[in-house]
Amino acid sequence: MTLRRAATILLLLMPGLGLILALIGAVVYIAVAQSFGLYSLMGESAFSLAFWSDTMGKKAFDKAVRYSIYVGVLSAIFSVILAYPLAIWLRKPFAGSVTIGAVLKAPLLVHGLVAAFLYINIISYNGLLNQVMQGLGIWDGPKRLQNDRNAIGVLILQTWKNMPFALLLLTGAVQAISDDVLDAARDLGAGSWARFRKVIAPLTVSGLQAAMVIIFIGALADFSFQTIAGPTNRQSLAQLMVNFKGRGDWHSAAVVGVSMMAIALIGSALLAVAARMIMRGRLK
Amino acid sequence: MTRARLNKILMSLVIGAAFLWLLIPFTMAVLWSLVDPSEPWTADQLLPPAMSFYRWTDMWQNSSLKPALVTSYALAPTAAVLTLCLALPTAYALGRYEFPGRELAKTLCLLPLVVPAFITAIFFSSILFQLGLAGNRFAAIVFAHAVLFLPYAIRILTVSFEQVRQDHIDAARDLGATPLARFRVAFVPALKPGISATLLIVFIQSIEEFAIAFIIGSPDVVTIPTLLYSALGQDFVRPNAAVLSLILVVPNVFLMLILERLMKSANPALSSGKG
Amino acid sequence: MGAIRISGVTKSFGEFQALSSISLEVAQGEFVTLLGPSGCGKTTLLKIISGFIEPTDGQIEIGGENVTRLPPEQRDTALCFQSYALFPHLTVRENLEFGLRQKKLGRDEIASRVRDVSTKLELAAQMDKLPNQLSGGQQQRVSLGRALVMRPSVILFDEPLSNLDAKLRDQVRIEIRRIQKDYDLTAIYVTHDQAEALAMSDRVVVLNQGRAEQIDTPERLYAAPATSFVADFIGSANVMEGTVLSADGAGLCTVETPIGVLEAKDAGVPPGAIRRLSWRPEKAQIGEPGLTATVTHRAFQGHFTDLTVDTGGTLYRVQTGRDDIREGDGITFALRPADIVFLEAVG
Ligand SMILES: Nc1ncnc2c1ncn2[C@@H]1O[C@H](COP(=O)(O)OP(=O)(O)O)[C@@H](O)[C@H]1O
Ligand SMILES: [Mg+2]
Repeated sequence: MTLRRAATILLLLMPGLGLILALIGAVVYIAVAQSFGLYSLMGESAFSLAFWSDTMGKKAFDKAVRYSIYVGVLSAIFSVILAYPLAIWLRKPFAGSVTIGAVLKAPLLVHGLVAAFLYINIISYNGLLNQVMQGLGIWDGPKRLQNDRNAIGVLILQTWKNMPFALLLLTGAVQAISDDVLDAARDLGAGSWARFRKVIAPLTVSGLQAAMVIIFIGALADFSFQTIAGPTNRQSLAQLMVNFKGRGDWHSAAVVGVSMMAIALIGSALLAVAARMIMRGRLK
Repeated sequence: MTRARLNKILMSLVIGAAFLWLLIPFTMAVLWSLVDPSEPWTADQLLPPAMSFYRWTDMWQNSSLKPALVTSYALAPTAAVLTLCLALPTAYALGRYEFPGRELAKTLCLLPLVVPAFITAIFFSSILFQLGLAGNRFAAIVFAHAVLFLPYAIRILTVSFEQVRQDHIDAARDLGATPLARFRVAFVPALKPGISATLLIVFIQSIEEFAIAFIIGSPDVVTIPTLLYSALGQDFVRPNAAVLSLILVVPNVFLMLILERLMKSANPALSSGKG
Repeated sequence: MGAIRISGVTKSFGEFQALSSISLEVAQGEFVTLLGPSGCGKTTLLKIISGFIEPTDGQIEIGGENVTRLPPEQRDTALCFQSYALFPHLTVRENLEFGLRQKKLGRDEIASRVRDVSTKLELAAQMDKLPNQLSGGQQQRVSLGRALVMRPSVILFDEPLSNLDAKLRDQVRIEIRRIQKDYDLTAIYVTHDQAEALAMSDRVVVLNQGRAEQIDTPERLYAAPATSFVADFIGSANVMEGTVLSADGAGLCTVETPIGVLEAKDAGVPPGAIRRLSWRPEKAQIGEPGLTATVTHRAFQGHFTDLTVDTGGTLYRVQTGRDDIREGDGITFALRPADIVFLEAVG
């Protein structure tokens, strides 16, 4: 009977979870295998470390790794820093809070490519921002803001798109704290800052970790914001990977892809640990 | 009542910021899409000197917008139905059976969301090449979308199955209902909002998906996002990009608003309507 | 000087008046209960005392100092929540230490206070557990302990026993009172359970729709309710209307009531006045001649029997130790003059 039950459950899990594991497993497997020269689509398949050493020796790869980590970490931090106070502010409903929440979350409804277009529209050489700054007499002439060297455009876009997502997760976490628990802290003498440090922060740390990790991975692997609004003198990891693949160099693309997954994994773990360390309010 | 005043100030700040980050950009997009080619909109003018729907009709007649729309709107419902069918059995198992490893199974279902989309796209296309299936681009995209959006579907439907009340099933049984009648009375009402929400969310995600459509579809299969991407890149014509942006955003905003409602009734805890 | 003085406290939520001009003085070491049905404003008054709600009008003094505008974190009060409100991420020890650390007390002081309280509340074995690893009764004691370590001028309880089962409730009730006496704490206790209020309190404030109906000792509340609300809410007394006919000058008067003309103690009510009267079900002298009634309902309660009787078309509750009376029986009963209590005027 229990054997039958187990078989039933496994069978039920097949089309959903089974397919997920099969596809993602196959994708990861192929990526790893191709990075070692196997499953070649053109020419000989043979195990080799050459693709790893070649790709890792390239300056473009080194730059891409650093650049993607830079974008990933800063996007996660900016989104969360903006979202946290807003989530706390919106914890208790007040007149107009629903509207505010809706307005803040509106970017969730806007496609990333559209966001990029809107942004370029505003900052372009003869765009609105340049005109306003000249009109106010702050800038003498129009400035070239598009594709800026420090990827500020990409960071703005990432934050614009991801802050609402962080807000969503953090609002949920903050609202899960009962009024009584916060009132109890207040009754025991905790002011606003102490209530945040010792009650809200430790109780929302898992929501914070989830938000940071998901935003980090998304921004680390960004392709479209980078190609449209990012600096032209460097590439993101995804961009590099797509370019290798476009040239038919699947093995180097695989090296970049596997590196990206490794960085995503390690980076997420580090971010999660860092968030926990900063936020934990355990009394010592 | 200092808190009330603080709220007022903060609210004006947020509304002001929203003005900058939503209203102005979208107004600009609408205006750009209406620029008539007879007179260019130069930097010294507040409004375009000549406005018309020329860009809209031109795009409709002379670009790949029509095939892209057809592709996108054929892709999305197919993927949605396929995802639903694939998700139902797993959601049933996760929602109605207690078994060791259930939490792990739930977590593993989220995998497609953490693996970067471009990695999935590129190496899925590599697999297609290995298998010699690279020609079936449309089918490949449908399949990839269906699997990629399974996490949402499984999550929503699991909760729906959890909300089916055992006492309703038992009561129906007690009253002598056949399995089919039991299903109708106990399962259907609890599942209905979840099923609609699933179909809608996969539909929206599929319309918006870029990485898979871009890597696997190009160059033959064009969807709205890939069309917009090329309009923003090599052949950048601002008014055309504005038209495409609006075509991509406006219907989806409405669909998402409907989705939000559905999610609320499907699963109060998952909905994003809080706050 | 009272430990707490509440003067004319009023609270409106928009149109709705939750509290109307409540005044109360609580002495050092006194245990006062706020009693009333759900929604009568008990929690609101408690939150005004602890500082979470600002009153629309009136003022609160604690230890002679006006604290009406002081935020809760600066008031010397400690509140025990109905939901316990323990910090779920902190161990029992950390929960107990929380307030003391906010006060920036020394390490030794904190340790000794926590040790003292944990011993008294028998929590010593649970100190390193998290709240969700504790039973309901243990959580209740941690919440009590967290308030006690603060050694507040006033300790406030909001229905602290309502989440416990009946047996544990009696036990914790006694424990709370014992600790309150041990530490000589001034306490304000909120409940909707009249038995709990009568058993625990030095004095009881009966609240009804935001008004204090009566502030008195449990004994006086029971023996001499001031209003029909109090008479009914505490021990479900029978309430009826009566017109005073005459007084005999020797301490008795006659009153005309729906069940006949009765003799009552003269309370100085002038003849002709119409007043509400109450009498307790257990005071009916069953078998004595006087009033006749038919039993319409009988409920055996163990050491007594509850009877509903029909007297002249109106139903009253009486109680008796006899177990030989059946539904449908005709009985006679009498009321002694001292057992009839004059309440408020009618109209
Ligand atoms: N913040 C508020 N806004 C409006 N009405 C309130 C608020 N808080 C309490 N009330 C109302 O005041 C009355 C008293 O509430 P409360 O003090 O909680 O009663 P209880 O005696 O049950 O503790 C209730 O009718 C309640 O609905
Ligand atoms: Mg209450």
